[in-house]
This record gives sequence, C-alpha cells and structure tokens, in this order.
Amino acid sequence: MSSRDEILAVAGLNAAYGESKVLFDVSVDVSRNQVVACVGRNGAGKSTLLKTIAGFLKPTSGTITSDGENLVAKPAFAIAGMGIKYIPQDKKVFSDLTVRENLELGSYASQDYDWVPVFDYFPKLKILMDRKAGYLSGGERQMLMIGRAILGRPKMLLVDEPTEGLAPSIVMHLRDVFKELAKKTALVIVEQNLPLVCAIADKIYAMREGRIVAELKERASIKPEMCEQYL
Amino acid sequence: MNILRWWWGLLLAFALVAIGRAFLPLPFANEVLIFSIYTMGCNYLLGRVGFISFGQPAYLATGAYGAGFYLFYFGNNPYLGLLMGIAAGIVVSLIIGPLFVRLRGDYFALVNLALAVIIFYLMQKVLADITHGDNGLWYLTSLTSTPILDLTRPDQFFIFAFLVAFALWAFYKYLDDSIFGALCLATKINEDKVKFLGYSSFGIRLFAFVIANTTTAFAGAMYAVYLGFVSPAITGAERAADPVVVTILGGVGTLYGPLVGSVVYTGMKDVLSKIIGNWELVIGFLLVFIMLAGEKGIWGSLAPLLQKLFTRDGKAPDRGGSR
Amino acid sequence: MNTQLLISGIIFGLSLGGIFFLMSIGLSLCFGLMRIISLDQLLYYSVGAYLTYTIGLLVGDVWLGVIGGVVVAAIVSLLVERVVFRRIYERDLPFTMITSFGVLVGGVGVIKYFWGLIPRPVPAPIAAQVDIIGTDIPVYRLVIIGVAVLVYLGIWLFLNRTIIGKAIRAGTEDCEHVEGLGINVYRLFTITFIIAGGLSGLAGGLYAPLIMVDPQMGLEVLAFIFMVVIIGGLGSIKGTLISSLLVGQVVSLGSLIYAPLAQMAPFAVMLLILLVKPTGLFGSALQKR
Repeated sequence: MSSRDEILAVAGLNAAYGESKVLFDVSVDVSRNQVVACVGRNGAGKSTLLKTIAGFLKPTSGTITSDGENLVAKPAFAIAGMGIKYIPQDKKVFSDLTVRENLELGSYASQDYDWVPVFDYFPKLKILMDRKAGYLSGGERQMLMIGRAILGRPKMLLVDEPTEGLAPSIVMHLRDVFKELAKKTALVIVEQNLPLVCAIADKIYAMREGRIVAELKERASIKPEMCEQYL
Repeated sequence: MNILRWWWGLLLAFALVAIGRAFLPLPFANEVLIFSIYTMGCNYLLGRVGFISFGQPAYLATGAYGAGFYLFYFGNNPYLGLLMGIAAGIVVSLIIGPLFVRLRGDYFALVNLALAVIIFYLMQKVLADITHGDNGLWYLTSLTSTPILDLTRPDQFFIFAFLVAFALWAFYKYLDDSIFGALCLATKINEDKVKFLGYSSFGIRLFAFVIANTTTAFAGAMYAVYLGFVSPAITGAERAADPVVVTILGGVGTLYGPLVGSVVYTGMKDVLSKIIGNWELVIGFLLVFIMLAGEKGIWGSLAPLLQKLFTRDGKAPDRGGSR
Repeated sequence: MNTQLLISGIIFGLSLGGIFFLMSIGLSLCFGLMRIISLDQLLYYSVGAYLTYTIGLLVGDVWLGVIGGVVVAAIVSLLVERVVFRRIYERDLPFTMITSFGVLVGGVGVIKYFWGLIPRPVPAPIAAQVDIIGTDIPVYRLVIIGVAVLVYLGIWLFLNRTIIGKAIRAGTEDCEHVEGLGINVYRLFTITFIIAGGLSGLAGGLYAPLIMVDPQMGLEVLAFIFMVVIIGGLGSIKGTLISSLLVGQVVSLGSLIYAPLAQMAPFAVMLLILLVKPTGLFGSALQKR
C-alpha cells in the first residue's frame, strides 16, 4: 500500500477519560476508499477510537495523521473541515430544525449545496424536507445524519454503530448505501452487526479492552466466525 | 483510626490560630474567626454538596437578626441571643430547604442570590418598623456580662469564638469522615447512582443544606453579639461575593480552607483598603485569576504538597471535594 | 384604583418588562448555547449606562450616548470572552458562574475607579408626554417598549431565518454535533456573547435616564433579572419574553396596590412556579454538552 493511498495513519494512540485509561497503544491505518470495520464488545474502546480521531477527545500520546497533516492538535471542526466526518451513535439530529434546515447546516459548513447525491441515497428525505427533525423515526434520523455528513464530499466517514436499533429493511438499505459510498469515500465503521460488516469491509480490526487484538486483511478471513473468536 | 491521628490536624491548626492571636490585633483575630465560620457553610455547600450559593448573606442575616431581635426587644443575655440566631437559622433552612434543594445547580445559585436581595429589602424597608431600617438595631450597651466567659469583652469573646470554632471544625471533620460525608460527595458526583443504592439524594442534600446554613446563621448571630448591633448592610448583595471568594481562595471542599482563606482575605482587605480605596477591583480580578489559574486555592494547593511530605506519618488524607 | 393610574401602571410595567427582557435575553442565550451563567452581563448593563452618561454629556445627544454605550459594552464583552471565557468553556457550571461573578465585581471596581461613587443623572432624550385614553404617558417609555419589541423580532428573525442563527439553535441542542459538521462553534460562542453584551448595554443605556446611574446599579436589578430568567426558564427566548412581561407587570401593578411588597412579589411568583416546575415555565432539562 503506497503512502499516497493512505489517508489515515494512527500510531501508538493512548487515550483516557480523566483518570481512567481507555485506549492502549492503538495503531490503525486506512487507505483511500477503503472500508475498515472495527468490532468488539461493548466498552472495548471502539467509539472512543473514533471520537479521538475526530478530535472530540484529546489523546494522551500517539499520533494521528491524514494526508500529511497532524490531527491531534486540531479542534474537531477543523478535522471535519478537512473532510473527515464523524457520525456518532446517538442518532441525534437537531430536533427543533426541519430536515431541510439540518441539511442547510451541513451545506453551510462544507460549502456544498448540491443535495442530489443525498437524495440519490435517501429519496425518503426529499419527502420529509419540511418536517421537524424531532419527529423522525430512528431510521430516518440515521439517514439524515449520513446525508448531512456526505455534503462536501468527505474523504472519510467515521460511523459509529449505524444500524443499532434499526429495522432489518433499513439495515439492508444502509448496507447498499455504504457499498456505494465506499466507491468515493473511505469508511471506518464501528459495528456489532457482524454479517453486515463482513459483507462490506475490506479490513477488520478487532478490539478488546482498549487494544487492537486482531487485524483481518484477507478476504477469506473476513467472516463472522473469524471475528467472533476475538470478542 | 487512631484517636490522636484524627485529632492532630485540628489541634495543630488551632494551635496555630492561638499562636497567631499573640501576634495579631484582637479585632482582626475575632473577625477572622467569625468570618471563617461564615465561610465554612459556603465551603461545605460548594465543595461537598456541589451547590454554589451566592446567597449566603441571606442566612447570615437570618442568624444576625434572629439574635438581634432577641437582644433588642426581649433579653440581654448574649448566649441566649446566639441560641436565637441558631434557631432562626434552623427554622429558615428547614422552610426554604425543601424547595431550593430540588433545583438544578444553576437555578439554586440564582434563587439563593435572589433570596439574599429579598431579605436585604425586607430588613431595610418592609419591616423597617421593627428593624429600624438602615439605622439598625443597637443593643451593645444593654448586653449583660455572662458567667465563665464574658462575651461582652472582646478578649473573652475571642476565647469563646476559638472554642466554638474548634468544636465546629471537629464536627465538620467528623461529618466528612462519616457515611454522610461520603454520601454527600457521592451525590455531588453522581446523583442517580446514590439513588440506586437506595438513598434519598433529596434528603442528603436537605440535611447538608440545613447544616451549612445553620452554621452560616450562627456566624451571623456571632456578628450580632460581637458588634453589638445589626443592620441591613450585613446582607447586601455586594457582600455576596465575600464567602465565595474566601472559599475559593482557601480551597474549595478542604477542611481548613475557610481558615486559611479568611486570614488571607481579611489581612489583604485591611492592608489593601488603606492603600487602594477600590477594594472590589481587587476581589474581582483576584477571583478571576484564581479560577483561571486552577481554582484550587491556597490551602487546596498546599494540602497535597504537605500530604506528600507527611505520608510517612500515615496522616489520613484530607479528601477535598475538588476534581 | 382609577383608570388613569391603571393605564400608566400597565405602560410602566411594559417598559420595565422591556428592560428586563433586553437584559435577560443575554443570560438566556449564553446559557442555552454555552451552558454558562454569564453574571457579567450585569457589568455590560452598567457599562452601557455609564457610557451613555459620559458620551451624552460630551456630545450633548443622549441617543448617541446610548449607541456608544451599546458599542462599548459589546467591545468589553468581546474582550472578556476572549480573555476569560474562551479558556473555561468546558468547565462545569459553578466554575464559570464564580468566574463571571469575579468579572462582574472586578468590572464594577473599574467603574468605581473611573466614575466614583456619586450617582450620575442622565437626562431623558425625549421629555414629551402623550395622551393615551386620558392618561399622560411619557413618550420615552413607549420608545423603550418599541425597542424591546424590535429587538425581540430581530432576535427571532436572526434565530429562525439566518444560517448562523440556526446554527446557534442547533448548538443549543447539541454543540458537539454542530462542531462535527465542521462549523466553528467557538465563533458562534463569540457572536452570541457579543450580542448578549450589546443587548445588556442597550438595556443599561435605555434605562439610564429613568434611574440614577451608580456603580451598584447592576446589583440592584440582579435579583429581578434572575427571577425573570428562572420563571421563564433558562435558554428559552419565548419564556424570557413572557416572564419579563409578567415580572414587569407584577412589580408595576403591585406597587400600585401595595408598594413595599411590590419588589417582593416576583419572588413569591418565582417560588410558586418553581414548586410546580423546577425548571421554569419553558425551561428544558439540562443536557450535557
């Protein structure tokens, strides 16, 4: 993998919430348009890893670089501005604003006012444009969150448990969306849904208790059974 | 826990105070003692319970006027005056507590300050008939001498204040080390968990509220006896900053913070207000400076250092409520 | 009570409510977005009043004084935001409250240094009176009401029709998500803070001719502002408007009924409301940022 293909390099990352350490010496790398999944039990540190990359938690040591730029010192909005967008697992949208206004904010931030791709992926959003986002269902919110995030053609999306709590039909829809997105955007997905993850991932990291315990790179080894042994 | 170990911090602290008395003028020493009792209430609320109260003057006034009314209208015995002040404090805290304690931290702070202003206004205007408004109630000359320790004499008052302060500090230390103390801290940090354990966070907070504000009222009563008069000035909103500043200055949540903070603050005020007429400027910027610099305060920063020095002694760590 | 008294009482209450509104908006906005209680808004209120006095004196035009007051108050609040608050946004509430209190007290000290303790009178820019249903009403009071209404509309338009305003509303719900989109939330904080400071300064400048301008003026209105904010609910603009009107009327009409209790009536109202709704009429539950 040439360094020009690599768009994220994390090395020796340590992070803590106050006094309690959460990440120990974590190293990952992501290439352009690669789908990387992160699996592990609850509390393994997966979300923390994404948060730290996105700039919402400052690591205690280690490096995070993307296309030659050091991310550790940057505030979260600057990292998002660089094309690395974080989609948290809380399925939260701005409830008092309409769907349209939610997207407007995304456009304002990224200066990308072309919503066509968003509606290509999520035609339902077009119907919901004037509804206050607080009235959306869980699946619709997830769609809105992703739709908002892809404005500005980010080079990488950090997605935290997107399918958690969603109906199977929506999960399948998201799987197809991710497959399409992966053609133009790198994805780092934290997921508990192993079949989904194995269907779309190029590489899987397994985490346990704040450490990376396995890296599955061969297509053949990316199977749910293989992942389970590390959980 | 070894009895001597438990007591030796207190004994040392108050020995220092006693020694200080030899070097410092009597009015200063008395002022410091009363003021540190006043601050103790605020310190406890902020450091151990997590309530920020800008309204401590309200409870100070409750105790002061409680004592003052008694001494002006009813009797002459300073001890009884003090008791009246304490009683007033307990009563007011019990009435107001259940409502205030339910509030979120920020609302609590605002509401308390509003209370201070209301009480000021009450004493100054509304009840002026019985409080004589800004003129205040004067009864210095009518106070009777009391047996054992004559509270009308400043030097004996000092001894009384000293003993009372010592007892109070011992009480608070006991509180800290008890289950109740642990519960207070726990409630401050994570209220839901405390509830899951089966405790009533409301009850814990209410109890702490009453204790802290009764302490404050007691300080007010002491002021009333010591000064020989009460007036609304004691509860002015400008004075609301004092206990908070001293609490922070000394070290929030620490046991001896109020003492240290009091000494430094009163000393600074005495010295500086002769030089700079404009004392507020200093308080304000001092407060901001301390907060920006780490908000641990003097004792708050010293205590961990001293602890390290003395760890071989196995001195029980003074667990501050600070982060 | 005759009609004339009632009408002037209502107008008086409305203008008082208008001043309260201008001041409380700042507190409410700052809380909603930044989760801080910006007690220093009372300082910008005083700054607005004092600058109105001084500029009005120098230039001879009180209106210019008011404008000058607003500008200077906004500048001072910008400085405070940069130097003090910017460093402490992540800290918890008591911390920021105490710090803002320190700024307030220190700032009052600075005012005392420059202007001394003596209260300063400011002449009303409009001395005329107008006749409304048989009552003489000072036009100036109506102007205050008008300004308050304009400000409310302006804030409403800002928050609902501009993208920055929408970003601020979004930030009130969840700042992290706003930042995650790539929006510089710290700039939003600064903008909000300056707006708050400017409005507080406007309140001070407008109110100056009606009261004596003295160093303690901020502390005198402090209790009322708190009550307004608590009754309305921190963070709610609509709540602030309603409760400022309410408190204004209670104080004004209350003083017609029984003067000494008028100042205390809002406090009783506040306690009643808190008994039923501990977060105020329109207050929302506190969400972790």
